[in-house]
Amino acid sequence: MSFFSEDRVSELKDLFFESATELLQALNEQGLELERRPQDAEVVRSVRRTVHTLKGDSAACGYTALSDLAHELEDALTPELAKARGKRVAEVVLSAADIFQDMLRAYRKNAEPSSGAGLLDEIRALVSKTEAPELVVLTPAKKAIETFEWSEYEKILLQDAGRRGLKVLQVSLAVDPNCNTRAIAWQMVKNTFQDLGTVLLMLPEDAASMEKVDNLFAAIASSFDETHIAKKCRIPMVICDVFVERFGAADAAQVAAPVVEEVVTTKANASLPVEEVASESEPEIGAASISAAPESTLRVDAEKIDAVLNLVGELIIGKSMLTQSISEFDKKFGRDPLHAKFADVLGFQARVLADLQKSVMKVRMVPVEQLFRRFGRIVRDVAKACGREVRLELAGQTTDLDKSILDTLAEPMAHLVRNAISHGIESPDERVAAGKERFGTIKLNAYHQGNNVVIEVSDDGRGIDREKVVKKAVERGIIQAGEAKNLTEGEALNLIFHSGLSTAEEITSVAGRGVGMDVVKTVLDRLKGSIAIETEVGQGSTFYLKVPLTLAIIKALMFRSAQKLYAVPLTSVVEIIRATEAEIHKVDQHEVLRLRNEVLTLVRLNRLAAQAEKTSKIFVIVVAIGDRKFGLLVDKLVGEEELVIKALDHHLVSTELVSGASILGDGTVVLILDVQAVVSKLGRARTQDIKSAGAMA
Amino acid sequence: MFDTLVRKDRKAIRYLVVDDSVFARKNIIKMLEQFGGELAGEAGDGCTAITEYDRAKPDVVLMDITMPQMEGIEAAEKIIRNHPEARVIMVSSVGYQENIVAALQKGAKHFVQKPVKPEVLYEVIKYVMGEEAVSMQGAAAGDAQ
Repeated sequence: MSFFSEDRVSELKDLFFESATELLQALNEQGLELERRPQDAEVVRSVRRTVHTLKGDSAACGYTALSDLAHELEDALTPELAKARGKRVAEVVLSAADIFQDMLRAYRKNAEPSSGAGLLDEIRALVSKTEAPELVVLTPAKKAIETFEWSEYEKILLQDAGRRGLKVLQVSLAVDPNCNTRAIAWQMVKNTFQDLGTVLLMLPEDAASMEKVDNLFAAIASSFDETHIAKKCRIPMVICDVFVERFGAADAAQVAAPVVEEVVTTKANASLPVEEVASESEPEIGAASISAAPESTLRVDAEKIDAVLNLVGELIIGKSMLTQSISEFDKKFGRDPLHAKFADVLGFQARVLADLQKSVMKVRMVPVEQLFRRFGRIVRDVAKACGREVRLELAGQTTDLDKSILDTLAEPMAHLVRNAISHGIESPDERVAAGKERFGTIKLNAYHQGNNVVIEVSDDGRGIDREKVVKKAVERGIIQAGEAKNLTEGEALNLIFHSGLSTAEEITSVAGRGVGMDVVKTVLDRLKGSIAIETEVGQGSTFYLKVPLTLAIIKALMFRSAQKLYAVPLTSVVEIIRATEAEIHKVDQHEVLRLRNEVLTLVRLNRLAAQAEKTSKIFVIVVAIGDRKFGLLVDKLVGEEELVIKALDHHLVSTELVSGASILGDGTVVLILDVQAVVSKLGRARTQDIKSAGAMA
Repeated sequence: MFDTLVRKDRKAIRYLVVDDSVFARKNIIKMLEQFGGELAGEAGDGCTAITEYDRAKPDVVLMDITMPQMEGIEAAEKIIRNHPEARVIMVSSVGYQENIVAALQKGAKHFVQKPVKPEVLYEVIKYVMGEEAVSMQGAAAGDAQ
């Protein structure tokens, strides 16, 4: 590796790890597919291809232990083996995926990986038992693909040939699934084409790339008719289906249109008379479209995007600083003609900045499919371990979500899914007895809701029994017996997220849920998201994970309390009302306020203010948490602002009530409140204060 | 069990079988007889194959790849150079993929994998003969020897 710089090597390795992760994901999926359809040679071949690629890549990076193991597996994997040994092969493939994963992890840490000897034994055991009978089961023939997807360049090449008066035929060939000598097949096809006429295009372009594909596409100029060509191309043992079509006039017209347009613009720019443009001239057509050949995707390190996003954040702060300065300028020189000019420039800048922010955000967005795909394997493994039969349904995979949020959600979702299978879904017999389908269903769904994305994790299992949850919570002293009867259904269910309840072993068997639920909640809180449950005993449960589209920038409502500046995310604000102290009543030791037909529980952010006179006006910010509303009592409203969230070090702020901070245009620091934490902490603290006060008296 | 495969002029198709193993040759010859073919010549090495071709002018050559003195590829290449109309089918195990590809590039018409399966060989010969052969029900042309 001495001819590469250190940087280059580490870059290559990064690339390898990234693609290897994808390969393993694919291997997991293919392994599952293989388990379902061990007889399908195509599936076996896809597994083989993946293992092959992994082998090659890891060898290139010098990870010989991995590549040797992959090599062994690749050699063992044949359709015959899968036919003979059925699901056992899928088992080995899946456990290979796990072992490869471990090895990758070790390599990433520059550690020596495990030898994988166990896997090697498994592979060898698998092969040795099958050698005896040679199975000549022919895989059903496949159909040739009947559409041709030539690149722009290739289309032009074919049109050009057509214009020269050649009869251009496009040929699609399906390689015989039983053909295990792909390079030979390629050569044979090529020979056949050469006998028939002139080969204009042939994909794959060389015999070496043939290993990976099952379809050949070609375009030839030939004087033979379609049926003769089809007959000649049906090479025994090599090609099982042929589709021949004349590179048609319809195609040509379709393709030609945009290309000609392009020529028009190029030529018009060069200010040539339009009539001349209309008469198409070939060389320009070629030139124009080669330059337009699209290369549309590139991989970028997430950190680089984060850096850009961070800078955009700084720019937004810069913008508000500018706005501030200009409003000061206005106060001093309100009549200055420069005023209007400043306002215009500022408006323009704000618009561009908004677009810039949006575009960068978009870059960070990835479809949730990336996350959902991992669940196939999890569901299978957990279901197997618990003796359940479970089907996974996915919906809304194309919903986009910020990559970092997506990654953070992986663990809590896995928790939910594992719980749903082990505690939610009943054993097959139990299900049948309850008149349900034998198969339990886990469903993952994702969709947008305003500025949020909701991810649903639902099962059709036995559901959660609220009363048992509440009973347990009372037993454990998490809530008082008196409180218990005042809980709404949602609040009762939310108790399962309480750490005191959820880590207890028994509750899992009683209530059906609980392991690590507090962790799930914590993660969602950190993401400024929320979690809600809907459950029906005997019918199943659905968890709604609601997360913001992005983490970096939020719209917030700013207010003052005890002279300090705070903000709450605008998404959690329902409305703002004005009230007087006289309107506040006490019910059950809670301060409440009547809002139209509802009774609003109040949270006083500044407790000292309680001593204020009865007549003083106060502001109440109504926030919604789940299906409940609370009122935050604040001293003064400041306004709405787009805040760029800066993460707070734990050493700086040692309270969970604040989720982040931001800098305003004038340099003031504003603390962003975690509404959920504030309501649950201050709300409860207050009741307990009063209780203990009552006990003392 | 196979339809008889004959030339357009209803004469039996004539074969040259080249393999250094006598057993392999006999095996293939037996199959060819089942298709109603006629053995035009046999050879155990590449040199003999070339002279045998010149002498017998067979319709189809079945050529093994690994042989002493002159490899199958070289023999095939020389035959095709002298007789561009020659239909040479390479016979070999898969391990020699590169050699087979090379032979195909030199003009060999097809390839049959060892161990040779009669139904595969039949299809390949039929394909290689193309328009020049017709298949007939039963053993009608069997009397052509």
